[in-house]
Amino acid sequence: MGKQAVIGIGNPLRGDDGVGPRVVEELQRRTLPENVSLLDGGTGGLGLLSLLENGWQRVILVDAADVGRAPGEFVRFTPDQVRMARTEHALSIHNAGLSDALALADALGRRLPQMVIFGVQPGVIGWREGLSAPVEAAVPRLVAAVLRELQS
Amino acid sequence: MTTVNISVHHVTRVEGHGDIVVDVKSGEIRECRFEVVEAPRFFEAMVRGRPYYELSHITSRICGICAVGHATASLRATERALGVEPSEQTQLLRKLNFHGEMLDSHVLHTYYLVAPDFLGVGSVIPLVNTHRPIVERALKIKKLSGDLCAMVAGRHTHPIAMTVGGFTHLPTEQELRDMQARLVDARADMDETVALFSTLDWPQFERETEYISLQKDDEYAYIDGRIVTTDGFTYPIEDYRQVTNEECVPFSTAKWTHHNRESYMVGALARLNNNFDQLHPRAKEAAAKLGLKPLTTNPFLNSAAQVVEMVHCVEDAIEIIDELLTRGIQPEQPPEVTVHAGEGVGACDVPRGTLFHNYVFDDDGICIEANCIIPTNQNMANLNADMKALLPQVLDRPQDEIRQLLEMLVRAYDPCISCSAHYLKVEFV
Repeated sequence: MGKQAVIGIGNPLRGDDGVGPRVVEELQRRTLPENVSLLDGGTGGLGLLSLLENGWQRVILVDAADVGRAPGEFVRFTPDQVRMARTEHALSIHNAGLSDALALADALGRRLPQMVIFGVQPGVIGWREGLSAPVEAAVPRLVAAVLRELQS
Repeated sequence: MTTVNISVHHVTRVEGHGDIVVDVKSGEIRECRFEVVEAPRFFEAMVRGRPYYELSHITSRICGICAVGHATASLRATERALGVEPSEQTQLLRKLNFHGEMLDSHVLHTYYLVAPDFLGVGSVIPLVNTHRPIVERALKIKKLSGDLCAMVAGRHTHPIAMTVGGFTHLPTEQELRDMQARLVDARADMDETVALFSTLDWPQFERETEYISLQKDDEYAYIDGRIVTTDGFTYPIEDYRQVTNEECVPFSTAKWTHHNRESYMVGALARLNNNFDQLHPRAKEAAAKLGLKPLTTNPFLNSAAQVVEMVHCVEDAIEIIDELLTRGIQPEQPPEVTVHAGEGVGACDVPRGTLFHNYVFDDDGICIEANCIIPTNQNMANLNADMKALLPQVLDRPQDEIRQLLEMLVRAYDPCISCSAHYLKVEFV
């Protein structure tokens, strides 16, 4: 297996939006194989594209996502399994997210690494630090799921 | 009688943010409002009770586009409160980092948001089919700016190496040389950028306002300096509240600001209007090609002013690297900080305009009071005044055209709306 990355996307100042970085923070306390990099993707927007195009063989993304479940429940999927809501001509570049970055990559025919996304249903999104109880409670399960994914 | 009813809903991922609601009956504007990011309301709650050395790391998270801007303003506020003077090398590296972020933000805004309006496509995705080289060039510039920030301070959206008084990590001279070569190479991309944007048919609309920015004696100001306005006022940055005069407005959670007139404008156009003479000669050439000089009063040209600044940032970054290489990178550690009670204000001109951070610390260096004023909030009253002035001039046009023009006006300011909330909406197929 070549280089792999786990990228947590989101903002720790916005409640459950910070679940991605929170999982990365937990993973930093583990001993991981040498070919695995941990990245805090922040709210990189279209900048995520250059983060993805970094020669990774596989990227595991953890992101808050409306997957139609209860807060804290998460779904593993690959980009081809879903349709992600994309921002139409936005009023601000601040809106762009993972789906926009992937759509742009797709339009450009860029070769992206193999991707697995863990979409975590948020409970509270707003200006507050820390995750809500059900999402925080899901962190150990998320960490375990990412670790299993890395070994697969 | 013209009856137009337009509601442009910003596609938000979080409720309660940015809508433009323009409601026009019989040629009169009934309502014209716009709501922006609420970060300033929660700013104090984010930092109160936290030690001085954590503040820049926390506040850099407010905005995924202006992480370096928030971190720099935050550090300057802390340094002024605690009497820390960053070394010349630190100041040079901060400027270099800032240029990277300015370039990053401006290229995203001008290429991904503004250009599609003029090139007859709805967004950047269809632009790939019609104008692929333009999109490729934008991505190339974006990669360069991101790599520049990463070289100086860690990842762009998370500038972890920036700390009170200095940097915890320094670029090597080889990294600086390699980056400089890429910046020199980017001159051709800048020329193409200027050429592209000088062909665009900007909407004709003039409305003079008060333009406010930072200013310095010896350079085009982005970090520190004094506050100046085109109405002839000058203030030390500690007196920022005399400029911003925040007030609550009934229909918005954001506070609006005004100074000498009912509103003022901050951002690239305001900087250009105040500090034109200090632009790099190549940036001045770009300004001439884009038809910009002081005093430019068409707010749509804020995007053109951003193109001018892109040229300036590339050129100035090349010169800063020259200076760093001539001096040689010194293995400096951030200075020891003597903690004491104090207050400080940090000001930076970030991509969208002047940003203020203000902290009060207790004897242990714990933040006990904080204030933050972001550019978007300062621009809201001005955007509102622009809309009110523009609408009557275009009421005879088709509704779709009016809608697009209003959206373009909003985009010209590139407001920070639901900044940093990005979460995915997923539908399984």
